[in-house]
Order: sequence, then C-alpha cells, then structure tokens
Amino acid sequence: MAVSTYLAPDAAKSAGLLCAIVAVPALAIGIAFTGPLVTTTTNFLVMLTAVLALGMFSGNSGILSFGHCAFMALGAQISATLTISPALKKSAFPLLPEMILQSQFGLPAALLVTMLLVGVIAYVIGKVICRLEGSSASIATLGLLIIVESLIVAAQGYTRGNQAVYGVPKLTSLPVALVLALLAIVVARLFRDSRPGLLLRASRDNAPAAASIGIDVATQRLHAWVLSAMVAAMSGAMMAHFLTVFSPKQFYFDLTFAIIAMLVVGGMMSVSGAVLGALVVTLMVEVLRRLENGFALGPVSVPQIFGLTQIGLSVAILLTLYKRREGLLAFAELNPLKRAKPAPSDRMPERAPPARLEIADLRKAYGGVVAVDRVSFALRAGEILGLIGPNGSGKTTLLGCIAGTHTPNGGSVLLDGKPIEGQSPDRIARLGVGRTFQTVRLFANLTCLENVVAALTERHPHWSRQQLEAEAQRLLDELNIGDLWSQSAGTLAYGQQRRLEIARALAIDPKFMLLDEPAAGMNDAESEDLLQILGWLVDQRGLGLLIVDHDLKLIMRLCPRIIVLNKGQLIAEGSPTEIQGDASVQQAYLGRRHGVEQAPPQTITMRA
Amino acid sequence: MIRFRTVSILATAAAVASMGPTAASAQDVLKIGFAGALTGYLAPYDQPTQQGLELAIDEINKAGGIDGKIKIELTTRDVRSETAQSAVVAQELVDMGINVMIAPCDVDPAVAVGQIAQAANIPTIAPCASTPTLPGIAGPFTFANYTADNLQGTVLADFALEQGYKNALILISRDTPYTEKLPLYFKQVFEAKGGQVPATLEFKMGQQDFSAEVTRIKELNPAPDVIMTAAYEPDFPAFIKQLRSSGINTPVLGSDGIDSPTTLALGEIAEGVVFTNAGFPSEGGPLAKFNAAFTAHFGEEPTSVYPATAYDVIKSIEAAVKATGGNLDGQALRDAIDNLENVPVATGTLTYKGRERVPLRVVALNRIVAGEKTHVADVTPKAADVPAP
Repeated sequence: MAVSTYLAPDAAKSAGLLCAIVAVPALAIGIAFTGPLVTTTTNFLVMLTAVLALGMFSGNSGILSFGHCAFMALGAQISATLTISPALKKSAFPLLPEMILQSQFGLPAALLVTMLLVGVIAYVIGKVICRLEGSSASIATLGLLIIVESLIVAAQGYTRGNQAVYGVPKLTSLPVALVLALLAIVVARLFRDSRPGLLLRASRDNAPAAASIGIDVATQRLHAWVLSAMVAAMSGAMMAHFLTVFSPKQFYFDLTFAIIAMLVVGGMMSVSGAVLGALVVTLMVEVLRRLENGFALGPVSVPQIFGLTQIGLSVAILLTLYKRREGLLAFAELNPLKRAKPAPSDRMPERAPPARLEIADLRKAYGGVVAVDRVSFALRAGEILGLIGPNGSGKTTLLGCIAGTHTPNGGSVLLDGKPIEGQSPDRIARLGVGRTFQTVRLFANLTCLENVVAALTERHPHWSRQQLEAEAQRLLDELNIGDLWSQSAGTLAYGQQRRLEIARALAIDPKFMLLDEPAAGMNDAESEDLLQILGWLVDQRGLGLLIVDHDLKLIMRLCPRIIVLNKGQLIAEGSPTEIQGDASVQQAYLGRRHGVEQAPPQTITMRA
Repeated sequence: MIRFRTVSILATAAAVASMGPTAASAQDVLKIGFAGALTGYLAPYDQPTQQGLELAIDEINKAGGIDGKIKIELTTRDVRSETAQSAVVAQELVDMGINVMIAPCDVDPAVAVGQIAQAANIPTIAPCASTPTLPGIAGPFTFANYTADNLQGTVLADFALEQGYKNALILISRDTPYTEKLPLYFKQVFEAKGGQVPATLEFKMGQQDFSAEVTRIKELNPAPDVIMTAAYEPDFPAFIKQLRSSGINTPVLGSDGIDSPTTLALGEIAEGVVFTNAGFPSEGGPLAKFNAAFTAHFGEEPTSVYPATAYDVIKSIEAAVKATGGNLDGQALRDAIDNLENVPVATGTLTYKGRERVPLRVVALNRIVAGEKTHVADVTPKAADVPAP
C-alpha cells in the first residue's frame, strides 16, 4: 500500500500520547473553569500550533526560519478578509473585488482557503529559499518576514495597511483551538517519521551524504516548507479569530522570537520538544506572572515587581542554551512503547548486473591548477580496482568527479556507455554509483536502522514501511551491526560507523561503489574485518569497487588491479606485483629522497 | 475554585447591597483595574501613566475619597505589550470585580481590553492611545482620553491658516497610523478652509537619509509655505537637519511626537518649529500645578506628559462618579462619562458630551525658541471643524 510508506506506526502512537498530554489538561480546564484560565489555555494552544509549524520545517531541515510569522500574518489577513461581515469589509478593505466584499465564510471554509493560498505562496517562495544552505537560508527567511510585512502595510485598501484590522469574528474558542492544535501535533509527528520527513532529517544531519544516497535535498526541504507554512497560516488565522483585532506589527519580530524561544527551550529537533517547550514556557510565564504581583515568603513580603516574567524567561533560555544546547528533549521523541527489533527480510540480494564504468580523458582544473589531468580507465562490475597515489595526487577529486560532487572540466564518465559526468550527485547515486567518504558521513542523529531506511526509501519508493525496515535490518545484519539498529549513528565506534556507511551505500543497490579511504583510522583487527566485507561485496553481490587508500598493504592484498595517480596524471596500471616493481611509482612515492635526478621536468603544480 | 470564588463574591455583594445605601456608603470603594504594558515596547508610555494614576488616586483618597466617601483602589497588572496577554489580564481584572478599566497605550491591546470589559458592562478608558478610531472599533463602553490625532491635525491646520500659509506640504509615513493619518487630518482641515496641499511626500521610518525628499521639496514650484509632519525620533531630527542644511527655511509644523528633549537639543536647526501637545505648563496653570505635585510626590520632575494625561483619566472618572451620585453600576458610569462636560483636568478641560467617546480637549501650541519650549496658545478646536476619524 502506498500510504503505509508514509506513515510509521510508532509515530502514530507517539502522536496519540502527545495529543493526550495536551488534550487532557486543556479539556479539564475547559470544563472546570471560565475566565482568564480558559483564555490563557486557548492562547497556549494557538502558540503551540505556531511552534509546531516552525518545528516542522526548522526541526527537520536544521534551518532556523525567522519567516514563519510572515505566513501567520498572511493567514490572519486572508482568514479575516474571508470572515468579516460584508458591511464592515466595505469600509475596511474598499479596494477588494466585489465578489470578495459580498461573501462571508465560516471558519472551516476560511481556514481551508487560507491554507491553500498560503501553500501556493510558500511553494513559490520555497523554490528559492530551499536551495540555500544554512545561515544564508535563515537570513533569506528574515528577509521574507520583512518583505511580507511591508507588502501588507503597503497594500492599504486591500488590507488595513498599518492600522488594526478589527471586527474579526471570534471563532477560536478553546475547543476549536484544541482540535486544531491536536491536528497540528498529529501532522507534525507523522510527518517527522514519514518518508519525506526521514529524508529531510537525513539531509539535515549531512547534506552531502544525503545526496550520495540519491536524496534531492532541495525538494525534500520544499515539501516541509510548504506544509509548515500552511500550518503556520492556520495558527495565524487562529490567532486572528482569537484576538478579534490585529495589525501587521503583531506578526513581527516579537512573535517570531516568542515562538523560537519556545522551540529552543523544548528542543527544536523533535515534535515532543516543541510541545514540551510551549508547555514549559507557558507554565513558567504563568507562575512568574503571579509572583510578579508580590508575594509573602514567610516573614518577608516581596513587593510587586514588573518585568519578572521577562527576566525569568530570558534566564530559562540562557540556561537551556548553556546546559542543554539542543533543548530539553533534543532529538528524542516520546514513545509509549519500546519497539522490538524488526525481523530481517529474507530477500536474496541480487547480483549486480554486468556493467561497465568507463572514465575517459577526465580533467578537472581549479583555475590554473590541474588536479585531474586526462585520466582514463575502466571498471567492470565484479572487479576491485585500487587507486593509490601520494598525498595531493588528485585521488579524492577524481572520485568527486565520478560521483558528481565535482563537475569535471573535460572528458567523460560513461556508465554502460551513457555519459553521466556533470550530473548532480543524487542523480548519479540513483543511476547506481554509490560512495563512502574519506571522513565518515553518517546521519548522526538518526538510528542505524533509519540511516539505511533513508537510503532504501529512495531506491524503493513503493515499499511499505515494514518492507523497508526488514530490508534495512537485513543489511545491518550482513555487516554485523544488526544489534545496534536502534542506536544513534553518532554514538557508534569508528569501525562500526564505517560498516554502517557501507550498509547505507549498499541500500541503493549500486552497481559500483567508490570507497574513499575505507580503512583510514582503523586498527589491524578492524581493517582485517573490512577486507572480508569488501571481498564479500564483490564475490556475493558482484559489485565493482573503486578503492582509494593510503594503506598500501591493504590495497595490495585486496586489489588484483591497481592504478596509480600522481600529480593528477595516471602513471601506472597493473597487478600489485607490477605496481610494486614500477619505477615511476617508486619515484612518485619516494621521489623526494631517491629519484630527484630522474624525475621528469615539472610543468605544473598539483593540488588535490 | 474560581467559580466558587465568583459565587462568594456575588454573595458578599448581594449581602452588602441588601444592607442599604447608608450602611454601604462608609464602605464604598471604586475599583479601577489598569491592564498596563509595564514591560515591552509600550512601557515608556504606560509606566509614566501608572505614576499619574497613582498620584491622582492618592490625592483623592487623602481627601477622603470621591465626594468624601468613595475611596479608589487601583490594581495594575502587566500585559507585556502583547495583545493576547492584554485579553487575559483584562479578564482577570474583570473577575476581580473592577468598576472601571484602564487600557494599554496602543490600539490593538486597547481594543482587546475594551471588548472584554464591555462584555461585563464595565467602561474602559484608554489613557494615551491617540488614534481617534479606537472607541469606534472597541465599542460603546470604550473611551479615548488623549489628544486625538484629528484634534492635533485641526489645531495645526487652523494655526497654519492664521499665519497666512496657503500652500502646505505634508510628509507622511505609512508605517504607523499616527505618522500617516495625523498629517492627512491636517490636510483635510487645511483644504476645507481654503488652503492647498499639492504635495505629499512619503518616508520609511528609520530611513535616516532624507536627501531624496529634500531634493523634491527644493524642486517644488511653487515652493510650499509650510511643511507639516508627524514624524518623530529618529526621523524628525534627521529630516530637519538635512532640510535646513540644504538652505530651505520653510516653517515646519510637528505634533506631540517631537515633544522631547532630543528636539530641544537640536539647537539652531529646530528654531521656530511649532508643534502641538496635550498641554503647556504656563505659570499658575493646572499643568504647572500638576508638575509641582508630581515632583513633590515622586521626587523627580515628570519627563513626559503621560502622567498628566493619566491624571486626567482619574479626574474624569471622579467627575462621572460624582454625576451618578455614587452609583458604581457599569452602565450608569458609562453614561455619566459620555455626558461629561468641561471637566477641569491637569492639562486643561475635557468634554465627552456629543464627542462619540473621543474627548474634545485643549491642544497646546508650542514654539521652539533658543532651545526652549515656549507657549504659543491653548486651543480648543471647534467641534464642527474636527474631521471624522
């Protein structure tokens, strides 16, 4: 079933628990009390929805957005325009077309239209913002906030400009706010563990590694951006119908920081964190607010001190950042049950079909410095090719040119005769060329199982969650790390991380694998172990391996054929014995001391 | 629990009421709730307001209360300059059984507070929000107090015409209603009485560089006789510096936003600038008396006019309670405030009768002379001249 790919059963249970944590006290307050406590609770639910919306994008993508209040402002504006009575609308928004002036919507219809419209707007904006990385993306969202605010102010006649919009029907009662907040919890929690959510979290932890298993990072970000913008618009509309009066400045920096503060305290990376943050901050504010009016502490009576709330809140944020940088819950989600290890699938991995990777005349230059100079060689499926060369000889650059992280300046990379050079790394990965990195690049905050599932889901979009997890478990078992399935990848020992990286690369069913110094930093036992695995990959799976390593002993033992790169040029090719006996190789490695006189005249300087 | 408390309060109230007027009069207390922004961006207005309220209440209570019998009790709660919090605090104050509500200094929170108080039949006064549309938005129980933008616009237009200016330029910013609407009210009155406003220039608040606007003014033909703006810090100082340094000596009119030490400190540049505000402390006048009382009470001089305008709020309430003969019922109080006429207050006099809850009050015209604020006139504009909000 297609749907099961998107919904994780644990996530549903976890969402249920979170809903209960919010709903039970909120309902109790709604039934037992009237007055300010109900207002406070309703306000909390509106803020919670806004925090969840922000977390949906920022938590999963790792990009802090300052722009979500812009979507809230649009949500409030649109929903108010749709629900205000026609008589009032005529004086408030005289420039609106007659059709809108005459109409008046109820809350469900207004919310639906608002969310759809904002979704479209967010899609257009997201096309640009989601291509940016890290802090430049954050700055762009800040620009978005300022631009949207200015536009709303400037569009006087369609909006109320800088003046307060009033007469907005009070439609956000506590039950309505509760239902919508619960909806936001469920959407946020299910999204986090859904296919797009998982892929996005993978790219948050390590964008290059995500591309190496075929994830198109920008597209995944765009999904979350649009969804979170729609929920933010909903919270903005809720706020408008709660306050009944608002002006553009309401949805500006102050609100942005209030929402971010809640998210930071609770933990940006999880939905439970968002809920906890909103709860803790609201409770704290309520307690401090009461203390602010003065209280008696035994014989000492403390007078009314205004500002205590703000001071307390600031201290809480500072303490959180100081003691727990990732927030109270960090990456953890509340899960009602410890889940059992999935049973591995009994799928027999198919042998990779016969294939051929051909590199012809490949060239990469950085300005005047040629890092890879007209290199040609070929690799068949089922073959292990060793690539060696001194430091700075261009090995990693060559690998990058094949994997798509670098764009070559000339020559071609042919996969079964079809050129693939210059394509994006995620496309090349999907075509069947996997890789590991010189320094391990895992999705550190995902479990081992999730690391592999992320890769599998790109390869098998129609598999169910269960199928994906069973297959992931099988791969982990194959690499002897099956028992670590539920651990965060970041907590593994070095050798285990290397294995997990290989398991993940295997998940996309590659025909070829590029391994950049797989044994780097391993002790003897670990590298011995690795040799076994690599041999097995070739014998059992029929993969073609291109292995770059400094460990000549390992290369000599593992690879029947070796190519040698020096200063960007291929200087030798042959069996280990041939390479060992090759004078130019000896010279390249030992040249400085032994072969200075014989060295060929140097025409260019090299850099890898 | 809260329900239980409400019930017990009602029971007490019923018991007190049943004791009859003579028994109750000695106990009578007028409860005023101030949902004030004591922190956040409105604090510079609401903190001085709190002082003015305290002073007025202190004076009245020392004299034995309103009419010598009804004491005033003030409860202040911080709304942190947030609209949502204003709604929560307003509800809390209503539940405490207040008789009159005092709202924060900006439109959004004031409307939120006013609507909640209205639902409980409690009148609300907004001490310093100057947007004249506020009472209309919030409903029939909400009153403005401060010198409204349309009053200032009217007085400035009258003054400009009196000086013989025929051709005015207005400089507006759409960033706030104050910086946009006040000059537009000026324009409305100025044009209605025969003046002309051919040019309107716009600025962005905080833009600092006014060279484009100054160049436009220089190119205008005919050159304006007067420039009117509601810009304030940091825009007003930046504008007038660049205007004067480019050699334009056209008179400049401003509003109460520039009533600050910064403007006076501009020296020669600000010489001759005329602006409106809520009152001038002429010797022997009510505002001078208020300032002396304030200094005696707090040990420092008031730094703005907001304590005085807050004092006015309490004086209006006092007058309304006197008018009802001590009846603290919400509807009665509302009607009494709505009918107040020529109430003597710290800044002059104040009239609500026939004003749709936006008071007609004295507007002071000030001129900057040698770095000092000097008094030009106290004007109460003709009600018919004041443009509708």
